[in-house]
Amino acid sequence: MVNIAHFIPLFPFAAFWLNIIFGRRLGVASAYVAVGASAISAVLAWLVFQGLLSGGGSYTLTPWLTVNGHPITLGIIVDSLTVMMLLVVTVVGTLIQIYSIGYMGGDPRFSRYFAYISLFMSSMLGLVLVDNLFLLYICWEGVGLCSCLLVAFWYEKPAAAAAGIKAFITTRVGDTGLFLGILLLMSVGHSLRFSDMGVINAPEPLMALAALLIFMGAVGKSAQFPLHVWLPDAMEGPTAVSALIHAATMVAAGVYLVARCYPLFTAHPLALQTVAVIGAISAVMAASIACFANDIKKVLAYSTISQLGLMMLGLGAGGYTGGTFHLMTHAFFKALLFLGAGSVIHAVHTQDIRAMGGLFNKMKVTSLTFIIGALALAGVAPLSGFWSKDEILTAVWHHGNFGLFIAAVTTSFLTAFYMTRLILLAFFGEYRGAHKAHESPAVMTLPLVILAFFALFLGLIGSPWAHHAFQRFIAPAEGEVALDIGMAVASSVIALAGILTAFLLRGKFLEYKPGACPLIENKYYFDEIYDALFVRPFHWLAAAVARFDRERVDGVVNGISRCVQEIAQASRSLQTGLVENYLVAQAGGVFVLIVVLTLVGKLCHIF
Amino acid sequence: MTEFVFYTIAVGLCAFALLSVTVGDVFHSAVWLTFTLLSVAGVYFLLGAPFIGVIQVLVYVGGIMTLFIFAIKLTANIGDARIRQFTRQLWPGAVLAAVLLAFLLAVIRANAWSARALPPVQGPDLKEIGTELLTRYLLPFEFISLLLLAALVGAIVIGKVKK
Amino acid sequence: MISLGHFVALSTVLFCIGLFGVLTQRNAIRFLISIELILNAANINLVAFNRYLAPASAEGQVVSLFVIGVAAAASVVGLILIISIYRQRQSVFLDDFNLLKW
Repeated sequence: MVNIAHFIPLFPFAAFWLNIIFGRRLGVASAYVAVGASAISAVLAWLVFQGLLSGGGSYTLTPWLTVNGHPITLGIIVDSLTVMMLLVVTVVGTLIQIYSIGYMGGDPRFSRYFAYISLFMSSMLGLVLVDNLFLLYICWEGVGLCSCLLVAFWYEKPAAAAAGIKAFITTRVGDTGLFLGILLLMSVGHSLRFSDMGVINAPEPLMALAALLIFMGAVGKSAQFPLHVWLPDAMEGPTAVSALIHAATMVAAGVYLVARCYPLFTAHPLALQTVAVIGAISAVMAASIACFANDIKKVLAYSTISQLGLMMLGLGAGGYTGGTFHLMTHAFFKALLFLGAGSVIHAVHTQDIRAMGGLFNKMKVTSLTFIIGALALAGVAPLSGFWSKDEILTAVWHHGNFGLFIAAVTTSFLTAFYMTRLILLAFFGEYRGAHKAHESPAVMTLPLVILAFFALFLGLIGSPWAHHAFQRFIAPAEGEVALDIGMAVASSVIALAGILTAFLLRGKFLEYKPGACPLIENKYYFDEIYDALFVRPFHWLAAAVARFDRERVDGVVNGISRCVQEIAQASRSLQTGLVENYLVAQAGGVFVLIVVLTLVGKLCHIF
Repeated sequence: MTEFVFYTIAVGLCAFALLSVTVGDVFHSAVWLTFTLLSVAGVYFLLGAPFIGVIQVLVYVGGIMTLFIFAIKLTANIGDARIRQFTRQLWPGAVLAAVLLAFLLAVIRANAWSARALPPVQGPDLKEIGTELLTRYLLPFEFISLLLLAALVGAIVIGKVKK
Repeated sequence: MISLGHFVALSTVLFCIGLFGVLTQRNAIRFLISIELILNAANINLVAFNRYLAPASAEGQVVSLFVIGVAAAASVVGLILIISIYRQRQSVFLDDFNLLKW
């Protein structure tokens, strides 16, 4: 049953066309089209999973292009990583789309929203299914486009439109790197197939460079330092979009890319080290910013950057299973957190956690599921986040670089801290908002409950009680795995310490006056630095070019037209409108002609 | 004898033509034009082309001149001799015409063919002209008839008084 | 003896008188009269060359017949235009009609 895999992206793709063409007529039904399509994809993904367990594998559909004699095929890769991604994307995607029916209800571009989501689903599923970098790049740009469209979905808001542009352009920087990496691989490695990544025979520095360039694409997509600036702004989009694209799936594509090209990275330690360092920097930096953020979605956005950094750190430290495991568990509980945040925003009509408080009594389901998600994120045993984070910490510890380990521990501590802070401010204490809060409808809470279920129990498939089923599935070659009890205890202590610190400081959160920590409060001044370094010079350059165009180029053009005008003005007076004048000119002309012809005839006679 | 006839006709022709473009009254001008056209018919007879001469008299003098007279009479009070008849470029026009005439006459004098004498053979007779018209020149002939029809229709359309 | 040059010179004189008329007449009708002079000059040339250079053929005479036909058509249309303009503007003087002026 593996050979049906290539049908998985086609259903959302069909749903996209249905919704984009007939969306207006379908109305609310467009949501059912989209949800139905991704539900079918989920079922197919499950069938592919079963097929893989019973011994299926990758297959090739058809040869497509030949570049310099090296074929690029339309191939489908089916292995544990792909199947994991398929299941995550289809399940989370379906749940989020169900949630969107409630969340986007009444929006004037309801069907357009579901069309974009379907397009995103199909691009994302294609991204994890294709077997070479060339096809991946196509899908990569597809998800980028959908991300931009959905971030700027409420483009009437200037901030949303600007955020869409920022997301697109910032990721474009990384994509350029990815593109160059693909070209480099193609020209020196002669193959873009993932299965050839580990065995490419090419000069060492060039391949290391290719690996770094591919990682640059991952940095852009996964919002890692230094290209992380777009993700917090992307929160201008609908919250369900933030949950699907900017938390669970698309931003994880960068991690997926690194995991997919893992043989290339492990063959070049420098590249792997870079992945680890960039991941560590992103993790700590974003986590520290999250501690000071007051916008519920911004907290979650920085948390996402931080967790993606942690995954990168895990991969870079050699923890392939840890990185991919955390990718999976994170997708579920971060989607849950975003949907919960969406439910809260839906209820209180604000995103500022200082204007919330005491919501626990008003929105029981949302609050409970949110707290489950937060605990999973914080890494409290035995929730899903605990197992995957523990796996990463173990890998980093064994990697041996103490600085990286400190970074991972700090991130864990800060994660627990800011999530607890968020919960304390939003759900407990006195209600400080003006709007009357109420629980969201069932169509929104049902996905929350299902995702909470995953957040609670999904981690167990990587636990000793399930005999480390996940680890054996995703990386069968790594042999026997065992839980490091010491590390498990340590990571629990770190998480609990973070939670405890937050509890101790809870009275101070509201009293806190901005200004005590200007560096972190201003997000390390990244936006300002980029503005000064790139945006402003670019504006100057554009202004200079525009001025040159206006004054020099247009000057020449206008000068020519003015010349024509002047000549016309001068010759205009010849047009007296009197036929007699014209006739004199004509007769004079004829006379001259006759004289000339006669003389020429004479000359011809002479010679 | 032929010389005498030629010079008589030639002098008459030039005089009539000059009068027709210089007299003050437009109606007189038309009359002088009639004489000019008759003189041209005489030239045709002299050249051994009596058919063309007859046609000249019939079409020009009989047809076109009648039209001119009609037009002059219909555009009342413009035949008045007191109205200025020449444009402001009388002298430039006269000089240009005179210079061109002098130049062309000089060219004619200078060329050998102008001294050619009359060939002894007779010119084509009516039968030959008719045969040519209806064989080699049939298409242009029909076109001329179409042109005349178009001119007729156009004149009626343009001249119709709109209500 | 009358040579070809005599007839051509005669037609040249007639042509130049016509040209002079065309260049100097204000009155549209006299303008047309001048044009008739020019056409007749051309016709004389045609018949004269026919007679002197190719006496056996009838081509020059045939073409001069066409010229007469075209001249008739031209005068008809020209005169009716003049009459039509006269009805509109009560004038047949060319320098009154400078509508094409810039």
